[in-house]
Amino acid sequence: MDAGEMSIAVIWQLGPVAITNTVVTTWAIMALLALACWLLSRRLQLQPGPLQTAVEGVIVAIDQAIREVAPDHSRLLLPFVGSLWIFLVVANLCSLIPGVHSPTRDLSTTSGLALLVFFYAHWSGIRAQGVGAYLKHYLAPSPVMLPFHIISELSRTIALAVRLFGNMMSLEMAALLILMVAGFLAPVPILMLHVIEALVQAYIFGMLALIYVAGGMQSISSSSGKE
Amino acid sequence: MELNWSTFVLEIINFLVLIWILKHFLYRPVLAIIARRQESVAQQQQQAEALRTEATAMQEEYQQRLSQWQQEQQQARNELQQSLAAERQQQRDRLQQELDVMRHGAEVAEQRQRQDRLRQQEQVAMQQGAQFAAQLLRLGAGPETEKRLTELLIHQLLELDPEQRSRLQRHNGERSNAATIASAWSLGDDQRERLGAALQQCLPEITEWDWQRDPELLAGVRITVGAWELGFNLADELSGFAELGEHG
Repeated sequence: MDAGEMSIAVIWQLGPVAITNTVVTTWAIMALLALACWLLSRRLQLQPGPLQTAVEGVIVAIDQAIREVAPDHSRLLLPFVGSLWIFLVVANLCSLIPGVHSPTRDLSTTSGLALLVFFYAHWSGIRAQGVGAYLKHYLAPSPVMLPFHIISELSRTIALAVRLFGNMMSLEMAALLILMVAGFLAPVPILMLHVIEALVQAYIFGMLALIYVAGGMQSISSSSGKE
Repeated sequence: MELNWSTFVLEIINFLVLIWILKHFLYRPVLAIIARRQESVAQQQQQAEALRTEATAMQEEYQQRLSQWQQEQQQARNELQQSLAAERQQQRDRLQQELDVMRHGAEVAEQRQRQDRLRQQEQVAMQQGAQFAAQLLRLGAGPETEKRLTELLIHQLLELDPEQRSRLQRHNGERSNAATIASAWSLGDDQRERLGAALQQCLPEITEWDWQRDPELLAGVRITVGAWELGFNLADELSGFAELGEHG
């Protein structure tokens, strides 16, 4: 087992900025998605074809999932949460391509996404309720709970990042180990498991992000209801 | 497991850029086309609803028109029934009139038949009565009866007023002077003389007398002067009675 197979390789070093293979893969995914969306958006019709119907089905499914959690803010949350789901699905599944590593097996990527979720949840809560009202729920039901709230916010963000990173890295490592030990066709069942795990992890990350954001937006009403 | 800050920052920037890309090239156009489709569906639903409303209005209009037609049909049927009833009543009245006429005719005919029958019965009764009276008088008639009848004739001739006498004389237009006097029984000379004198008082021109006997007269006399004949006997009376019954 080569240590370079699982390590994060720096492709370019532009002064203090290191361009790793994770970033390059992300750029490739972004370019692929941008190209697909651009091509699709040019051919949208009122009478949809099979591809347009599938894309609309995905968008409507994401919108309905958001609407079930935050009925009044589905259109506001759709770009962020939908982008999380789409990016994570593509990023998790791209490791099935030989020689390509999933960006989500890099802790830097998952940490960056978790940090974005952290800030987006607070920004959405403040936007929906105002700064005072939003920060007030950290003192509910008692100011004694403030440290626990802060610890909860940090720990769930760290857990969000580490969960995705650990699962995806372990999947790639397991597939690599089985490929090295058992041969060429033996990892196929593991790859099927990889597909399922990639979809599940993307769903879990996106759903947790949605719940955190929706929880931040609706915390004041929950606190008022409890009181 | 190491955290590369450059990768960390670049991934955050990359994801923010990806959000922008997807928002502008995926979510916005796809949601817009879905909204347009929903708007189109809503318009079609509105059009369908408008068509349905129009159809409902037309259906109500047709229902009202149909109801009106039914009312007109009922009215026409009522008028036809009234006309038929009036025509039937006219026919019935006309038939009743004809029937009344026929009934009246039948009653008239029946009454006439009844009167004829009654008249026939009366004639028969008169004839039978005449026959019975004739048989009775034939048995009961005799010289005494004739004598009383002759006396009665003489008395009546003498009692005639001038007008009756002149009328009697006008009957004797030929001015015959011969008189034939028939009697059922032989008259006595006294009676013949008084009868001749009474008759001559009425008809002074009579100068010849022919006294005959005719038993068919039963009792009484028959005076014949030319074409004029005076019967004062039971046979002529019975004959006149019978003729009276025949002619009503």
